[in-house]
Amino acid sequence: MTELEARRAETLVPARGATTVWARYRDVLIALIAFAVLASLPLFTGSKALLDFVIRCSAYGLFATSLNLLVGYTGLTSFGHGMFFGLGAYSFGLIMQKLGVPIPIAFVATLAITGVVAAIIGAICVRLKEIYFAFVTLAFQMLIHSTILSWASFTGGDQGLRGGIPRPVFLGVDLSNHVHLYVASCALLILGLLAMRQIAQSPFGYTLRMIRDNAGRASFLGIDVWRAKLTVFVLAALFASMGGMVMALFVSGAYPEFAYWTISGEGIFINMLGGVSTFLGPMVGTVLLLLLNDTVTRFTEYHGIVLGIVILFFALGLRKGLLDFVAEWFAHRREAGEGR
Amino acid sequence: MTRTRRPGISRRSTLALMGAGAMTVAAPWVARAQAKTIKIGMPTILSGRVAQLGTSSRNAVMLEVEKVNAAGGLAGRQIEMVIRDSKGQPQEAARVARELVNTDGCELLIDAEASSGAFAVHEVARDLGVFCIHTNSETSALTADPKQHIPNAFRTARQGVHDSIVGGSYAAAIAKAKGLKKWATCSPDYAYGRDTTAEFTLYLKRFAPDVEIISESWPKLFQPDYTEVVTKILQAKPQALYSCLWGGDLTSYIDQANIYAMFGQMEVFAVNMADYTALTVVKNLPKGIHSGNRYIKTFPATPENAAWGDAYKAKYNEYPTNWSWENATAVMLMAEAAKKANAADGKKLAEALAGLTIKCPFGADGTVTMRAEDHTLVGYAIGWGTTIPQEPYVPEVKAGDWKTIFELEAEWKKSKGYT
Amino acid sequence: MDLDALVGCLSSSACLVTQTTSGLIIGMLLFLVAVGLTLIFGVLKVVNFSHGAFYMFGAYFAMTAYQLTGSFALAVLAGAAGTAVLGLIFERVFMSRVYGADVLMQLLVCYAFVLIFDDVVRIIWGPEFKSMGMPAAFQVMPLFIAGGVVPPYYLLLIGVALAAAIVLGIGLSRSRIGKVIRAAAHNPGMVSALGINTGLIYGGVFALGGMLAGLAGALAAPVRSLTPGMGFSVLIESFIVTVIGGMGSILGALIGALLLGLIRSFGSLGFPLFTEGLMYLFMVIVLVSKPTGLFGKEAA
Repeated sequence: MTELEARRAETLVPARGATTVWARYRDVLIALIAFAVLASLPLFTGSKALLDFVIRCSAYGLFATSLNLLVGYTGLTSFGHGMFFGLGAYSFGLIMQKLGVPIPIAFVATLAITGVVAAIIGAICVRLKEIYFAFVTLAFQMLIHSTILSWASFTGGDQGLRGGIPRPVFLGVDLSNHVHLYVASCALLILGLLAMRQIAQSPFGYTLRMIRDNAGRASFLGIDVWRAKLTVFVLAALFASMGGMVMALFVSGAYPEFAYWTISGEGIFINMLGGVSTFLGPMVGTVLLLLLNDTVTRFTEYHGIVLGIVILFFALGLRKGLLDFVAEWFAHRREAGEGR
Repeated sequence: MTRTRRPGISRRSTLALMGAGAMTVAAPWVARAQAKTIKIGMPTILSGRVAQLGTSSRNAVMLEVEKVNAAGGLAGRQIEMVIRDSKGQPQEAARVARELVNTDGCELLIDAEASSGAFAVHEVARDLGVFCIHTNSETSALTADPKQHIPNAFRTARQGVHDSIVGGSYAAAIAKAKGLKKWATCSPDYAYGRDTTAEFTLYLKRFAPDVEIISESWPKLFQPDYTEVVTKILQAKPQALYSCLWGGDLTSYIDQANIYAMFGQMEVFAVNMADYTALTVVKNLPKGIHSGNRYIKTFPATPENAAWGDAYKAKYNEYPTNWSWENATAVMLMAEAAKKANAADGKKLAEALAGLTIKCPFGADGTVTMRAEDHTLVGYAIGWGTTIPQEPYVPEVKAGDWKTIFELEAEWKKSKGYT
Repeated sequence: MDLDALVGCLSSSACLVTQTTSGLIIGMLLFLVAVGLTLIFGVLKVVNFSHGAFYMFGAYFAMTAYQLTGSFALAVLAGAAGTAVLGLIFERVFMSRVYGADVLMQLLVCYAFVLIFDDVVRIIWGPEFKSMGMPAAFQVMPLFIAGGVVPPYYLLLIGVALAAAIVLGIGLSRSRIGKVIRAAAHNPGMVSALGINTGLIYGGVFALGGMLAGLAGALAAPVRSLTPGMGFSVLIESFIVTVIGGMGSILGALIGALLLGLIRSFGSLGFPLFTEGLMYLFMVIVLVSKPTGLFGKEAA
């Protein structure tokens, strides 16, 4: 079943039984292959920059895909999703610096903290609709950002968490080793994507789509819309926080910029670039944006103009994300073929 | 099955799509072969509100690199600068620094980042072990804190605590002479502003114990409007005001305080005033603002310094900035260290650089030293004076005394638990 | 926290007058930018994310005109007229193409222009910050009112902003054009069926919104430094203002801006380190208790 067919199926009752089981195994299989390919990359290339690139893709990819759970699947346009990216980076960095616990414990503790914070903020936000939801999430993000700046004794203020994040070896995994960090990032990315894919394809995922298309109808059918929205808000926050942790490990620190609204803006931009109606759209968008950023900044300091023109091309020319465009193009071809 | 919107794919948009693909294939990670030239990577801020930091750093570096190359290069290898924009974001600074080393084959780094970006690049230097000179971060902790210390990183920027010791003793002398007891402070609300202000008041009170701080204001960095801050200070009626606002924030503040006639009502000590970026921009510069020197070609009053300032102006049609001399000094030190080590290799360069003293137009006595114990620059020209609204802007600068600076700095380090 | 200072100020008339006018000044300038934003949203249903760029262009146009002519009046005129033209072109050529599209698409187009405009300013005027300088006519001693200090230039500023508020308020509710604009906001199909060119109205509203931001920029130019990207912090603040006041409400923008100005001027006394946080906190409280803002209408 291709992505597009999945989309078509949305209008029907979600397929049950053998097909879903098969689809799930297929997703796991794809994930395993993708991980095997990524993880074996260091065997073929000595390019550290390529590995760096994939690590950054993992951080932003997790973040952007989790945002798409809100934007694309549930119709919740969050302008403040970056706060969880920052929260992940800061919680993880602070726990490692102050407590020195093994990395997996810090990882789980960070997820727990993010979950609690997201539940509180989400409970307040998801009542609101459309643009007002966007504004209030943005306001919360700015509130968290200014708290990070003001609470300098704890967070390091604008200087960020200084002195590096310690990475004690755990079960032979040494994250200060570049290749180890790379493989760990890939694993997190693939696991995160797989988990989000399962959420998107589960009955809960279809509930979300129904809420997006017609919240009133969902409510009539006995769905607790508020609870479903809150659940996906918290879930998405967890994956964004994972992305933040990967970024904290990559730069060995956490900076207030991670919790600034520009990160949320980039997340939305990535989604628009790659496309919101396919699961892998945000991932494609991530790769595109990072490539674009890295390439253009090499050649000109006027990257604003170049990036601006590319955005205009997508917004006014294609009018949709790249993967959406490709998917529709294939559908168009097939329909033309059938008609002959 | 119904589709609400049919995808209309025209030939034009297909072509456009291919264009987008072609634009993005130029992958940035294709490593280049190492040549006989030596590449020096320089992450800095070339866009956004403080782009001037990057452009004036770059100007100074290029000016000096030309001289070094004309004289035969770094231990016989011609220097090629690779300068990239980090947009002032720490994660971009880290990314750019790593890429400069890993992809572009840069063997040395000049880190012309400000504030948090410098700490991010510092972590990269720690991780990759690459030779690195921080040229713009004045935050004391970057070199004073032993936890930050790594053998391959140095700093050629002035250090915040040096500035505050000289400022504090200068201000205390005037406070005593004029009987200024009630002081207010107004500084940007970020690490540099908070630390510098705390250190300044510490030394002010030490030299003039009856001084009292009666009001503190902390505007945000890049805040456009300072009206509430100005009126708050006017309400407090202090006899003197200290501020470490800088650049556009300082000029906005002066313009806005001017129309409240604030400068007639108190003595103003603005450490970052005496930099050409601010001096030449403010249209109605009040007379008699006390300021520390940033870069000014009349201090130190030597022909070498004046010649350097004029050469810069002749080349770029603007005066150098505080960042300019800090970056120029980095190149001068690298060149001398390479001569001493007779190598351009990062490790040997670092060994030669620690403790090196060179002749330099920005030295208090014509020389500057890269102190061996904490890898930060000492002996640079540092002093305070008062402004006039036209050239030479700060006619007389009272030089700070490095002996006092060293004593008090050692004490300060102890109090911070750094030694 | 420094609550003593806040209480001390509230009990002194000199301090009250000075801080209140200081809040008014901050608020009125903010209002000029925010009202353009709210106007464009009210009629076009577009969140003009590039609004800060118009403020920036207003300031730069004014500075250049002032340097060329030496006349402050011409400088302000140049700032306002220049951005009006810019707004018209921007709307007709680009924004009009994405009206039917997703909100995010509109946002993206605006974002693209924020990036482009900042670089254009950097190319034309250079990366360094500039200062226009206070016109000689206003280089006078401040006035003393009931013990408080008020500079004459700020009186002019408050006056202009107040005039703009009144003209807009009356113009929209009383004049024929105002009625057409409100009708176009409510039901564009019906308006165009009546033979009125809605494209022209949309373009005009966008030009008006851009002009107001440009006017604010021109008026701010003598007291604020000019740099590429200067519109950004102003955009964020006017954004908060419109959200608090209610998107689309002119009265809301006025009240929101004044509230924010007062929070800033008194907040800086009581909470010098958390003044900014206070603004966001206020925004969160308003949004949670009344999602559409203080004066916003519930969307149909």
